[in-house]
Amino acid sequence: MAQQPSPTSGGKVSRRDFMKLLAAAGTVMTFAVFVDWGKFLPNPTGQSKERQIVELPDGSQANVKTFPVNHSEAIIYPKTDDPTLNKEAFRAWQFIRLPEELGGKKNDVSAFRLFSMVCLHLWCLWKYWPQEGRKRGECPCHGSMYDPVTGKAFAGPAGLQAPPNNVLPRLDLELAADGNISIKPPNWSVNGNGIVGYGRFLT
Amino acid sequence: MGVSLHSENSLTRFIRWIYTGVERTIFMGLKFTLPSRFVSPLGFLGMLTFVIFIILGITGALLMLFYEPILDRAWNSVQTINDVIPYGFHLRNIHYHGSNAMVMVALLHMYYQYFSGRYKIRNEILWVTGIIIGVLTILEAFTGYDIIFSERAELAISIAASLTNSIPIMGPQMRDAFFGSGFHDFVLRFYAFHVFFLPIAMLGLMVVHFPRFLVFDVPMVMAITGAIMLTGGVFPVDMGLKFDPNVPPGITVPEWYLTGLYAFLRSAYDKFTTGVAWPGLFIFALLIVPFIDRYKKFSWKDRPIITAIGITSLAQIIVTTYWGFYIDPDRTKSLLERLVIDPVFLYLVMILLVPLSFGFTYMMIKLAKNAEANAKIQPKKQAGKNSINLSERWIYAIFIALLAFQVYLNIAAYYAVLSGMKNYSLFIVGIMMLVFAGMFHVFRHGRSMQKAPPPKPTIPPMTMKAKTPSLTKTGGPAATEVTASTKALGDSAAKEKTLAPSTKGSTSSPQSVQSVTKTESTGATHNEKQLVADDK
Repeated sequence: MAQQPSPTSGGKVSRRDFMKLLAAAGTVMTFAVFVDWGKFLPNPTGQSKERQIVELPDGSQANVKTFPVNHSEAIIYPKTDDPTLNKEAFRAWQFIRLPEELGGKKNDVSAFRLFSMVCLHLWCLWKYWPQEGRKRGECPCHGSMYDPVTGKAFAGPAGLQAPPNNVLPRLDLELAADGNISIKPPNWSVNGNGIVGYGRFLT
Repeated sequence: MGVSLHSENSLTRFIRWIYTGVERTIFMGLKFTLPSRFVSPLGFLGMLTFVIFIILGITGALLMLFYEPILDRAWNSVQTINDVIPYGFHLRNIHYHGSNAMVMVALLHMYYQYFSGRYKIRNEILWVTGIIIGVLTILEAFTGYDIIFSERAELAISIAASLTNSIPIMGPQMRDAFFGSGFHDFVLRFYAFHVFFLPIAMLGLMVVHFPRFLVFDVPMVMAITGAIMLTGGVFPVDMGLKFDPNVPPGITVPEWYLTGLYAFLRSAYDKFTTGVAWPGLFIFALLIVPFIDRYKKFSWKDRPIITAIGITSLAQIIVTTYWGFYIDPDRTKSLLERLVIDPVFLYLVMILLVPLSFGFTYMMIKLAKNAEANAKIQPKKQAGKNSINLSERWIYAIFIALLAFQVYLNIAAYYAVLSGMKNYSLFIVGIMMLVFAGMFHVFRHGRSMQKAPPPKPTIPPMTMKAKTPSLTKTGGPAATEVTASTKALGDSAAKEKTLAPSTKGSTSSPQSVQSVTKTESTGATHNEKQLVADDK
């Protein structure tokens, strides 16, 4: 075969090689479709993009007029009908109305914050401490501390982590005319609202 | 005496029919050896690993009946298995200690093959698949202790997820794909990996990894099983505290096979470098060892550089494994201060271990070569013979004593279960397995000592057939005559093994086949060295 000249005049690819090329292309095309099937693996329910009201533990919707200043509540997002899934730490969010000196008196969304409660260090649940001299998020496990305005860890092991692993994921809020607060559909990425348990870039 | 055992009946014929049928299957290529005397377990550590894998498969399958891989139920279901389900404690402990034993035996297996240079002579595929199986074994053990979902498990999962996340480019996608999102997914997925994905991958690789010559040593297998149970009885595994994200966890360290990695993580250096790149580099180095080892010889003494690298890795593994466990006991210091290892110190020690290990290796090789030279000068001692020589009567006495002991242990184990002393009963069952191992060893020893019926000349088969009845009847005196010929027969024993199927075909009498196997077992004592060499 090596001595044989190419059957096509001037052509550099023999018929056999061309066949092989076609077969390879066919194989690639056959299995290319399955690459997208990799999307089966991540769980889409954890990537919820739904609009949801800020439902307080007592079942009512948070309202600008009634929610006290320098106060926090734990809320569930995205909330499901399954009590087991609602216990999931990755669905726990801390809804904070900032203290007065940080702008908590304002009657718009800028007075509120909604941060993931999952500590960026080792996934314990931190919470907001409104006491004088604290007024910050504190993790019970290894003492990481979070700034309630930005969600940035400023002390403890989480503060030592490199970005984006040092800023809490944060959900955006919106206000209805009657003062009720809802959660805007999030963008789950480190450059958007962040990824629960892993953080986001501070923009 | 054992005549009834050799009689032909429908059952033995059925078993033989199955046995010949198996020759048509994949097992045809495998050569199983049941050693007829004690051989060093170092040579068949791989088989032991596989046996432990099977033990883990069985106990794990049983645990699956009660375990619930659900966020708020996982820990509770393990507690139910441990405390409520009859023998759940036993199975869980065997499963746990079996996993540790499997990692340990697999590591020993790897290092034995490494130092004896077995990865050469076209065994490279065996070595590479072995390393991959080893990595999967560790992942398997890791996912196993995570799905209890105790505090320690949660820490382990969060570290694993953050390490995956730290991989450049593909990291976040991989994390999403493998871990899902949230604890609910983690438990469920780790469970799926633990009971199906990883074991099935390991089984697939084992098909490639199995060499064609396998040694199945019943006493050693039983002893290992017994040791696992005994350890479970003495050190029953605890439950750990149920993970609660609102409660600060105590200081926990991972299982011993991961503390080496944990030591690097605790140096608080970049996550990807310490947690992914270093272990990745280590595994990669192991994978390419057969291709960089250019020595023509096998013995560790003749491959100084490779041996030194192996010793270095061993030294580093031992030091980091201990370091990972060690936490400054001074409670007045902050947690961070107690946990974090100074990276400069750690890496300095790691580097320092290299010349130390090379020096140690050089010294060991020097000493070994000296000893070899000395041994050549001095006349050989006649210590090759079996050191224990029991008479038949004593063998029976030992047997009866062991049996009586087993009866006693059975009763003790039963009462221990009745009175709720679970770990004591597990301990006793472990002893029982060890006694069985001893029993089998004595049985094997006794059988190989047995002179009657004496081995018959098996070639040609026609003449042997004629001689058979006279020899078996005369017994004692004839035995002494024939022992002289066993030596010659022993040499041909190896050949006969391969001849066996053809003799089976040519002679209609099944007795001839038995006599061939008989010759093997008796000839083995005389010819043990050659047989052992064959096994290798």
